[in-house]
Amino acid sequence: MRTFLTLFVLLAAIVIGHLAVLYGAPGFIMQRAMAAMEQRGIPQHGFRLAPRMTPQTQRVVRASPELAYSICLFDFSEGVDAVAIEMAAWPGYSSLSVYDAQTNNFLTFRGEGKRFAMRLLPPLSEPEGFSIPAPTQRGVVLIRRIAPNEADYRAVEKIAVEDSCRAIRGGNAR
Amino acid sequence: MRFVLGLLAAILVGLAIGGASALVLSGIWPRSSAPTGIAGIAIDGWRTDFAIGSDAADPYTRARVARHGLFALQRREAIYFTRSRDERGRPLREGCRYRLSGMGQAARWWSITLYDANSRLPMNKDQALSISASETGEGAWQAIIAPQRPEGADHWISSRNAGHFDLTLRLYVPSAEVLETPKLALNPPRIARLGCTTAEGL
Repeated sequence: MRTFLTLFVLLAAIVIGHLAVLYGAPGFIMQRAMAAMEQRGIPQHGFRLAPRMTPQTQRVVRASPELAYSICLFDFSEGVDAVAIEMAAWPGYSSLSVYDAQTNNFLTFRGEGKRFAMRLLPPLSEPEGFSIPAPTQRGVVLIRRIAPNEADYRAVEKIAVEDSCRAIRGGNAR
Repeated sequence: MRFVLGLLAAILVGLAIGGASALVLSGIWPRSSAPTGIAGIAIDGWRTDFAIGSDAADPYTRARVARHGLFALQRREAIYFTRSRDERGRPLREGCRYRLSGMGQAARWWSITLYDANSRLPMNKDQALSISASETGEGAWQAIIAPQRPEGADHWISSRNAGHFDLTLRLYVPSAEVLETPKLALNPPRIARLGCTTAEGL
């Protein structure tokens, strides 16, 4: 009886350990990635254009050297009612994508050569037009622009200063 | 007392086995495992899973992508194919030269980038990390993958300091045909080994 019970506990622990690691891994990896971004000075609620992607500047796995990345961290845990996001117009391919704390890409909008604006709302908020709730309190907003050479990257530098990721407080979420 | 200690040992051993098996099966550990365990679609050696980037992905895919492709996009925006072997099934490695050839793709833009076994751009200053539609245009193209710049080649992807490596083909804004019938609509680039300077991994 004791042997049977020990085997049962062993099998249960294997299953629990397996599922805990499997389902916990994305959140853990994302948490570490966001912490590393904060350490490198990427602000909460403000875009930062990453340096042109090279072996020497890469900070995340499988970064594309042809893309220019602008990054903003968001966090609704400290009284933020909304995050107003704007992507400046870019003549080539551009997209604005939003990732939750579990690594899910829950929103993506294409630039199509025009400025794009939206608002991110706290989890469980009612969506309305381009005001969309995030699934989790924290996450990452990423703007990608195709810029395969130095000249294109310099052009992105000039327009990326018009990207905006701004926390709104005081009940003015929409 | 011995029985209780035995139960505690079973719990610890079980958690360790369960956790380690999850890391291995999802491709997170060991550290050198590249994302070649992708289960979804295989086209002439290029593999992908259209659930990448989505919360619909199975937990193994989500964990693997978090480790090897964090911040991937959903498939309507971009799809990612990876391969780590040449056309004869031999692992891609720095000690060999390869000819990569292909056509345009049914997508707004595409690129092929070389990554080392840790899913990083190889640590060199050759400024030859990838090839893309921006350089090749719409028609047929060829590139040489080698650790040194080849003479006379139109395009070069440097494998210097890459060790064993893989290639990622990105299609941005893929056509509906690629998403619905990828085996018919994708133009899978071919990769042929031209020669090696070392005998490892023949």
